[in-house]
Amino acid sequence: MGFMRDIDKKLPVSVKGTKHGLLFLLDDQCDFDHLLACLGDLLHGETATVFTGPPVDVFIDYGCRELSPDQARDLLNLFLQKDNFVLREWGGRLTLRRSGGTALGLATRPQSIHKGTVRAGQRLVFEGDVVVVGDVNPGGEIVASGDIFVLGRLSGVAHAGASGDVSSVIGAAEFSPMQLRIAGTVRRAPEVDGRAMETFMEFAYLRDGGMAVDRMEYLPYIRRSVR
Amino acid sequence: MGTSIVITSGKGGVGKTTSSANIGTALALLGKKVCLVDLDIGLRNLDIVMGLENRIIYDIVDVVSGTCRLEQALMLDKRVPGLALLPAAQHRDKTAVSPADVRAIIDDLKRQYDMVMIDCPAGIEHGFQVSVAGADEAIVITTPEHTAVRDADRVIGMLESDRGLSPKLVINRIRPRMVQRGDMLDIDEIVHLLGIDLLGIVPDDEDVIRNGNRGEPVVLRTDSRAALAYRNIARRILGESVPLEVLDEPQGLWSRMRRLIGGR
Repeated sequence: MGFMRDIDKKLPVSVKGTKHGLLFLLDDQCDFDHLLACLGDLLHGETATVFTGPPVDVFIDYGCRELSPDQARDLLNLFLQKDNFVLREWGGRLTLRRSGGTALGLATRPQSIHKGTVRAGQRLVFEGDVVVVGDVNPGGEIVASGDIFVLGRLSGVAHAGASGDVSSVIGAAEFSPMQLRIAGTVRRAPEVDGRAMETFMEFAYLRDGGMAVDRMEYLPYIRRSVR
Repeated sequence: MGTSIVITSGKGGVGKTTSSANIGTALALLGKKVCLVDLDIGLRNLDIVMGLENRIIYDIVDVVSGTCRLEQALMLDKRVPGLALLPAAQHRDKTAVSPADVRAIIDDLKRQYDMVMIDCPAGIEHGFQVSVAGADEAIVITTPEHTAVRDADRVIGMLESDRGLSPKLVINRIRPRMVQRGDMLDIDEIVHLLGIDLLGIVPDDEDVIRNGNRGEPVVLRTDSRAALAYRNIARRILGESVPLEVLDEPQGLWSRMRRLIGGR
């Protein structure tokens, strides 16, 4: 995001081509009228021809800006005047959600943050993705229909993709799970010298029908190939 | 108005009753008015550890059923001023009292005593629910074993979510040698896992068993490591900041010779 902010200073609108279509990122800090003028220029001024052509899916992200109904209408009108634009999504912080792992254009799913430790005997079930700020202790269980991330030590049982989503992942800052389940696949923790393996910043995902564990920094690459 | 503290563990045999007796006695030695309440109804033990078994006439079930007044069931300890015990019933079971009954009795006791120590039965069923009903604070006892730590974790979760308490931890029966050899869970590991404040550590000490059998809480002795540990726990409960005891045993030639000739 760092380099994009620099670009934003010059122009409050940035356009990105994604495999789903065109993503318009509207600056949320600048004056609204300035934004409207720049966007009007971009879509209907000299550069208008760039955006003319075959039908294209358009995603608009207005960031954190609080839009009044009138402002929203004015902005949308600029896009609707383009005959070849097919408006797919309109919202704030779409990119934030996308970088959180949800592919643009797919229905977004609920995301929860659980603050506190999941202790032995506790079983927490979440719809969508969940982030646990705390540990999952041995004997504790966390279940989510989406991804599970533990900002602490995962030493209990985690079940991601509980309703069958095989692309779900389980990640943890301290990764020493007792048992991992992703969709219908169950694996015991890998053992080294008879003791449960303990690693840092790793995540588990399904690959070729088996479960694989990789360092957290590879998550975006694995996610891309999964989706 | 006093404070009620439940002593619980989930797992049996980790030293709830012994700890109740010793922490309670230590608090009384520090000048507090303390009442011990045995809620392990049907398996009453606290009176044995306190050496008060033969003086029992009425018990907590008699108080609940109205057979006697609360004062009649209370036994005053003759060794330590300000220490009393409300015994459990031996011939009944846990269903003889309800959480509301216990809450009423504890509230009554809190008006007369500074500290009400509740000895909880093992398990997480009715007996546990009854015991925690009247508690303002909780102490969870564990030993350095996976089974005990797992059950302690479960109990802490229940105390936190059901009762909104923030329990404190006592790790009992630590054997420094085994910890050094890596055969026993070490204190840091347990505290990290359970994630609650550590109130104290008690070394495994034969004196505890010896004194328990004699009906004399070990804390009454001055020459025992466990007694020091329990006294420090009592001071920490009262808000003093007392550093954790160092449990490492000296293993040099000199200390072994001293052991041989009977020194400690």
